[in-house]
Amino acid sequence: MSDLSLAKTPAPRLAPPLLGMLWRDKLAFTSALVLLLIVAAALFGPMLLGEMASDQNLRGRNFPPFSLDRGWAFFLGGDSLGRPMLARLIVAAHSTMLIAAGTVAAAMLIGATLGLVAGYLGRNVSQVIMRLADVIMSFPSLLLAVVVLYVLGASIPNMILVLALTRIPIYLRTTRAEVLEVRERMFVQAAVVMGASHARIIFRHILPVVAPTLVTIATLDFAFVMLAESSLSFLGIGVQPPDITWGLMVAQGRPYLTTAWWLAFWPGLLIVITALSLNLLSNWMRIALDPNLRWRLEARSTANG
Amino acid sequence: MIIKHVLVGALMASGLVAPAMAQSNTDITVVLSEELDLVEPCMATRSNIGRVIMGNISETLTELDVRGDKGLMPRLADSWEDKGNGTWQFKLHPGVKFSDGTDFDAADVKHSFDRVFSDQITCESKRYFADTALTFNIVDATTIDITATPAQPILPLLMSLVTIVPSETPVEFVRDPVGTGPYKMTEWTAGQQIVLERRDDYWGAAPAVTKATYVFRSEPTVRAAMVEAGEADIAPQITEVEATNPKTDFTYPNSETVYLRIDQTVEPMGDLRVRKALNAAIDRDAFIGTVLAAGTELAVAMVPPTTLGWNGDLTPPAYDLEQAKKWLAEAEADGVNVKAPVEVIARTENFPHVTEVGEALVDMLNEAGFNASLRMVEVAEHEQYYSKPYPEGRNAQLVVAQHDNARGDPVFSMYFKYHSQGTQSGVNDPKVDELIEKASAATGADRAALWSELFAYVQKDIVADALLFHMVAHSRVSERLDFTPTIATNQQLQLSEIGFK
Amino acid sequence: MTKLIGQRAIASLLSLFGLMILVFFLSRLTGDPAVLFLPIDATEQMKQEFRALHGLDLPVIEQFWRYIVDLAQLDFGDSLRKARPALDIVLEAYAWTLPLALITMGLVIVAAIVLGSLAAFNVGGFFDRLVSIISLIGASAPDFWIAIVAIVIFSIGLGWVPTSGVGTPLHWVLPIAVLFIRPFGLVVQVVRGSMLSALSAPYVKTARAKGVKNLPLIFVHTLRNGMLPVVTVIGDQAAAMLNGAVIVETIFGFPGIGKLMIDSILQRDFNVVLAAIMITAIAIFLMNILIDIAYSVLDPRIRH
Repeated sequence: MSDLSLAKTPAPRLAPPLLGMLWRDKLAFTSALVLLLIVAAALFGPMLLGEMASDQNLRGRNFPPFSLDRGWAFFLGGDSLGRPMLARLIVAAHSTMLIAAGTVAAAMLIGATLGLVAGYLGRNVSQVIMRLADVIMSFPSLLLAVVVLYVLGASIPNMILVLALTRIPIYLRTTRAEVLEVRERMFVQAAVVMGASHARIIFRHILPVVAPTLVTIATLDFAFVMLAESSLSFLGIGVQPPDITWGLMVAQGRPYLTTAWWLAFWPGLLIVITALSLNLLSNWMRIALDPNLRWRLEARSTANG
Repeated sequence: MIIKHVLVGALMASGLVAPAMAQSNTDITVVLSEELDLVEPCMATRSNIGRVIMGNISETLTELDVRGDKGLMPRLADSWEDKGNGTWQFKLHPGVKFSDGTDFDAADVKHSFDRVFSDQITCESKRYFADTALTFNIVDATTIDITATPAQPILPLLMSLVTIVPSETPVEFVRDPVGTGPYKMTEWTAGQQIVLERRDDYWGAAPAVTKATYVFRSEPTVRAAMVEAGEADIAPQITEVEATNPKTDFTYPNSETVYLRIDQTVEPMGDLRVRKALNAAIDRDAFIGTVLAAGTELAVAMVPPTTLGWNGDLTPPAYDLEQAKKWLAEAEADGVNVKAPVEVIARTENFPHVTEVGEALVDMLNEAGFNASLRMVEVAEHEQYYSKPYPEGRNAQLVVAQHDNARGDPVFSMYFKYHSQGTQSGVNDPKVDELIEKASAATGADRAALWSELFAYVQKDIVADALLFHMVAHSRVSERLDFTPTIATNQQLQLSEIGFK
Repeated sequence: MTKLIGQRAIASLLSLFGLMILVFFLSRLTGDPAVLFLPIDATEQMKQEFRALHGLDLPVIEQFWRYIVDLAQLDFGDSLRKARPALDIVLEAYAWTLPLALITMGLVIVAAIVLGSLAAFNVGGFFDRLVSIISLIGASAPDFWIAIVAIVIFSIGLGWVPTSGVGTPLHWVLPIAVLFIRPFGLVVQVVRGSMLSALSAPYVKTARAKGVKNLPLIFVHTLRNGMLPVVTVIGDQAAAMLNGAVIVETIFGFPGIGKLMIDSILQRDFNVVLAAIMITAIAIFLMNILIDIAYSVLDPRIRH
C-alpha cells in the first residue's frame, strides 16, 4: 500500500504545502483528480457537448461499448435512442452536481444550524426543533415530491427543495447528538467558566469537533441524493427529459439491465465513483489537517515497533 | 389487533405458516404485474381485475370472440332477439348454478344490472351505458326482456360487459365474489396471492386447469424470471426486452392504440396544414423494431383492425420531412404562428419505453421546424391534460395517450375521442358529430359503413390527431402448458383456454 | 426519567397531530381520486357519485372534521380503492415490514460496529481502505442493480433461493441481503469516523500519555463516547426502513409498507396514505424516544 508512508512519516511541525501531501497519498490524489474532472465536466460539458449528446439515431440504438467505429463519443456505447453515452454522461454531470451539491449543502447548512441551536440552547428550544425533525422524518419524500410538483411545478430548484427538506433531519440529529456530548467535555466547560462568548464556544470549540462527522455524512449523502433523485424520476415526479442527470439515466436504463447493461451501468458507476472519491478525499483531509490525530499516528508507530 | 397482525407476520417470517407450495401438475401459477385492489365482479371491465374474474369466476350473458371471427357468442344467454322499440329478449341457459349453490335465473340478471346502476357503488361497467336507460321485464325464470331508451342497436354486445351475480349480492363491493363461472375464489391474501379452484358443478365443459394461483410482481424482469425458474407458468405483460426465448415468449397485438391527441383550439394546431405537417414529420417506421417491439403496426384509426367498420383503404401518413416543412412555411406565410411552443405530454409507465417515444417524437417535430418540448408527468397530472376541462391559458399540447378498445365496436371510442362533447376530444366539427350520432344509432351494414366513413374523415380530411401505433404485448408461457396468448389476453385470461402438453 | 418520558410522549402526540393536519391538507392539493379510480371515459355523473360516496364532495374543512371525529374512535376510514378499512391494510403491510426491518438493522448494527471500529484502529491501513471502499460501493450503487443481478445469479443461475415472494425463510434471504448493503455502508463509515474523533479526545490522549497499556479499556471507553452519532445514524436508517423499502418490495414482491405507501400516494388513496404515515410516525417517534434514552445511558453527563 502506497499510503503506508502516511502512517510511518512523523507529521512535520508545519504543514507542508497541501498539494505535496496529497501527492504522497496516491489514492487521495486520484480522488481529487477525479473530482476535478467531474467538476470540469459539470461546468463545461453542456456548452461543449450539448448538441452531440442530444443527437438521436433510432436505427442505431443501444450501440455496444468499447468500439471506436462511431467515434470516441460512442466508446461507452449508445443509449436507447442512439445517442452517445459518453457525451451524455459528461453533459449530465451538470444537473447531477447542481442537484446533489445544492441538496447536500442546503440540508447540511440548515440541519447543522438547527442542530447546534438545539444542542446548545436549553431543553425547550431543543424539544420544539426535535419534534419538528420527527415530523419531517415521518413525512414521505414521495408525497412531498408530489405536493411540490402539483403546487409549484417541476423544476430543478424544486427538486432540490424536496430532497433537501427530507435530508435535514439526519444533519440536525447528528449535530445535536455530538453537541450534547462535546458540550460536556472539559475544555468546553473550561471555556464557559472563563467567560467565552457563545459564538466563540460554538465556532472555536464545538464546530471543529462536530464538523468531521458532518462531512462524513455529507459525502455519503451525495450518492444517496443522486439515487433518490433517480427513483423519483422513475416514478415520474423527478427530473425528466430533456434534462438529464445520472440518476435519470440510471432510471431509464433500468428496463435494459439484462440486455443492454451499459445504459444503467455507466451512470451508476459514475455515482459510485463520485461518492468514493469524495469520501476518500474527505477521509484523507481529516487525517492530514487534524493535528489531534497526529498522536495516534505516532502512538501507532511505537506500538507497532 | 396490532398484536395479532404482527404475530401473524412473525409466524410467517419464521416459515411456520408457509403456504402450501406443493402443486399437482394441473395446478398453475400466473404472475401478474399489479395487485388487485378489488375482486369485484362489476369491476371486471378493468383489465387487471378482468384477467382474474372474467370467464373464470363470473360470466356474462354474451361473449365477444375477440380473436376469431365468430363475433358475438352465447354464454349465459343461449339466444337473443330484437323485439323492436328498443326491446331485446334474452333466453337464458337453464340449470346453471352459482358457486354458492343458488340457481341462476332472470331475477339475478336484473339484480346484477340494478347493482351496476346504483349510486351506492361505483361500478366500472356503468360507463358503457352512459346515456342509455335500461328497464327489465322478467318473463319467466329463463327469459328476460331488456328495453333500452333510446334504442340501443348493440345491446347484445353491451351484455358482454356486465357480469352476473346472484340476487343476494349486497350493493357494495364484495370480497368473496360469487359467480356462475368454472372457478371459485378460495383464497385472497392481500398483497400476496389469489387462488381460484375449479368447481365440480360447473354447467359447461370442465376445464383442464384445476387450480390457479395468482401472484403479483411489478418488475417485468422478475416476472419473466419466475417462469424461467419454474416458479410460475404464465407471465402476461413482460416487456419486449425480456421476450427473447421463442419457445416460451409470445408476441401478439393487445388492442391498444397510441396516438397524439391534438387540441385544435390552441395555435398553431387549429391550422390543417400544421396538423398535416405534424403527421408528415413523424417517421413512424423508425420506432418499430427499435424503441417499440417488432410486430407493432402503424395505426390509421383509433381502434384495432378487428373492430366493426374497419377501413382498409386508409394508409398511414407518409414520412416526408420536406413536405412537412413546406406545409409549415405555407401556414406561416398565412400568419399562423408555427413557432408557438408545443408541449408533448406523456405519462411515465403508460406503455413500455414511453419516455423514449416522447423524446424521439419531440426530436422529429423540431427537425421539421416545430418548437416542441417534452413533458413527462405522472398519472394524475396526465389525466388533467388529457380530459376536459383542459387547463386555462395553456400552450398547444400534444398528449401522448394510449387507448384500448377490444370491444368490437367503435362506439366505445369515437364519441369520447372525437365528438365535440367527448371528454378527450380536441375536435369540434359538425360533420364528425353527425356521423358519430348516426353510426351509434345504426345497425348492420349501415353501421359498419358509417364508421368506415368516419375513420376516413377524421384521418384524411380533417387530420384530427396523429395516430401512431397499434401496440403489441408479450407473454411468457411455460413449456408445459398448451396455451397461446392472443389479443383477448389483455382483458381476460380464461383458464378454460389453457391445456397441458 | 418517567416524567421525562411522559413529557416526551405528550410532545410526540402533538407532533403526530401536526403531521396529520399537514398530510391531510397537503395530500388534498394533489388532485382528484375520482378520476384515478374511474376509467378515463367515465361520465361526470359517475365521478360525482364516487365523490359523494366517499365524502369528497364536502368542503375540505368538513372532511377534516369528520376525519377527526372518526379518528377519535380509532377509525382511520376506508381505502378509496380497496373498499377495506385503511388501518387493516396498513397493519398487514407492517406485519411484513417490521420483521424485515428488525432483522436487517440487527445485522447492520453488529457488522458495522465491528468492522467500523477495526477500520478506525487501523486508520490509513489496508484493512481500513478495504472496508471503506467496499462499503462505499455498496452504499452508492443503485439498489435495483444489486437486486436484479442477485436474482439472475442466485435464483436463475444457481437456483439457491426463490426469485421473489414471501413463502418460506429462504424467500427472505435476498431481500435482507440487498436491503442490508446501503445502511451498512453508511453506518460503518460513521462508526469509523466517530471512533477516530473519540480516539483523539483529550481524555484518551491523557490515558495514553499516562502509559495506560490496557487497549481493551480504551476501546470500551472510546466506543461508548463515539456511539452518539452512530446511534443517530442508525436511527435515521431504521426510520427510512420503517418507511418501507420500496425497491426491494417492488422487485421481490414483498408486501410491505413502502410499496403500499407509493401506490396509495400515486393513486391518491388519502385514507391509506394518512393511516400509513401515522402508523409509521408512531413507530419512528417511539424509536426516537428509545434513541434519546440510549444517549443518556451511553453518556450519563447528557442527562438533565
